[in-house]
Amino acid sequence: MELVLETNNLEKKYKDFKALSNLNINIEKGSIYGLIGKNGAGKTTLIRVICGLQEPTSGTYSIYGVENKSKSISNVRSRMGAIIETPSIIVEMTAKDNLIEQYKLVGMTDYDNIDELLKLVGLENTGKKKAKNFSLGMKQRLGIAISLVGNPDFLILDEPINGLDPQGIIEIRELILKLNKESRITILISSHYLDELSKIATHYGFLDNGTIIEEITSEELMKKMEHKIILKVSNVKEFVKYFEENKITYEVIDNNTINVYGKNNLSKFINDLSKVNLIADDIHITDESLECYYMNLIGGTKND
Amino acid sequence: MIRLLNANFTRLKKSKIFWLLNIFSIVLALFMIYTGHSNLKQYGDAVEVEQLMLNYSTIIGIVIAIFTSLFLGIEYSDGVMRNKIIIGHKRTNIYLSNLIVTAITSLFTYIIFLGIIAIIGIPLFGSITIPISKLLMLLGCIFVTIIAYSSIFTFIAMLISNKTITAVVSIMLVFGLTMNAMICFNKLEAPKTIQEATMVNGETKIEEVPNPKYLSEIQRKIYQTILDINPAGQMFQIAGRTAPNLKVPPIYSSGIIIVFTGLGLILFNKKELK
Repeated sequence: MELVLETNNLEKKYKDFKALSNLNINIEKGSIYGLIGKNGAGKTTLIRVICGLQEPTSGTYSIYGVENKSKSISNVRSRMGAIIETPSIIVEMTAKDNLIEQYKLVGMTDYDNIDELLKLVGLENTGKKKAKNFSLGMKQRLGIAISLVGNPDFLILDEPINGLDPQGIIEIRELILKLNKESRITILISSHYLDELSKIATHYGFLDNGTIIEEITSEELMKKMEHKIILKVSNVKEFVKYFEENKITYEVIDNNTINVYGKNNLSKFINDLSKVNLIADDIHITDESLECYYMNLIGGTKND
Repeated sequence: MIRLLNANFTRLKKSKIFWLLNIFSIVLALFMIYTGHSNLKQYGDAVEVEQLMLNYSTIIGIVIAIFTSLFLGIEYSDGVMRNKIIIGHKRTNIYLSNLIVTAITSLFTYIIFLGIIAIIGIPLFGSITIPISKLLMLLGCIFVTIIAYSSIFTFIAMLISNKTITAVVSIMLVFGLTMNAMICFNKLEAPKTIQEATMVNGETKIEEVPNPKYLSEIQRKIYQTILDINPAGQMFQIAGRTAPNLKVPPIYSSGIIIVFTGLGLILFNKKELK
């Protein structure tokens, strides 16, 4: 498993405020890593540190195995592209001129594939229109095109769908999937739109108070989310004993509630329980959303 | 570094402020020629072409302050700076490439001004009246001071992330420097004696008395040093051809370039960007 990004007890302090605290994150090559956290959780701070805009107070991070303190970290960064909050666009220039500027910055002299890049992000017909007259979605797509100059294999997108209309969100989603599948670009994406993120991410990192509280693959997450059976019981201990003996994933919520994970067939499950005289007072199955999962994880409510 | 310079110059060519700057220099040169020509025709005042060439130096600081703050301010407002760092450019190279671009642009705009004055002014007013070597020395001093100005305003633009604040601070600073230079210049120019009129037996008697505002030797040294260090003061002395020693301003300008660039590099390398 090749890691594109790895952090080791990363910490970032602003005076007395710890924005990142002992943060450990591992991003596998080829993945779409969804970084989830509420406002102020440390998502943007983490991205700024990784991108070299800010120095960590302590701890280290490595990009493609090169540690941040190494002199060659600058060379490795040339394999990265990023959009942090707002895309880096010179608004007085056209889409094409913005790309030419970026080509010069990365040292590419052949502009042949500029049109290809503009087509990829759906901006091939913008002509002489200056970027200041673009819609938010067009700016975002231009930002992605700019970050793709130099063929990076690691793309960081911080809130790329903020403020976009539904059509814009779909366009960005499809573009991200295309880049990941066709160009094999590893993508780190942070977003508040968790349902949107759940449609594309292959891995998740849940961030709270500057710390990663859980890293999980989408398969693992689906298992946990989709097959949750909530049992209301009066004899929790007996149920727990049965689940332990039969290696069933469960979670005791309170004195009379148990969540059971990974059971597809509800009727078979109830049948199995009745065979050992375990009768629940109430049973229901839920399809938990990523949002609910995250809120449960951080111990908050949906309205937090 | 070359990639950064290449990208910066590409952006410069597309920059409105760059073209406005050059148009301003051309219009100013034409205005000076027109004013000189009018005075020559109306009053017969002789016009020294070399003086026209030097005059722009007294206000070039304001022009550089506006250009640098707006051109480099975009690096923060449009995310150009962030982008450069993300793709792996070293902060030292970013700083130096921006300094080089602002210095070259400022010199270029002055050279355009000189070109217009030379092309139109010399046929109109006659050739240069001072030795060419002297003129080249004066222009050399101006060019070094222009680079010093660029280093000061690049320092401000690279350390303040807000374009508007950068512009306000830079313009206030250049006006402050100009005011300071005028004060020092006036104090140093005060005559040693002044004429005082007194009435004796109904007759007015005029006599030369020591000027109380005339600076003592130590004061003169202090004011002269301040004037020599201040880039606006250097320009005043060069344009007025009053500098006691023409070798001094470039030495102080070089000091300004080294101090501001060195300090700017240290602080910019530590600056936390958003």
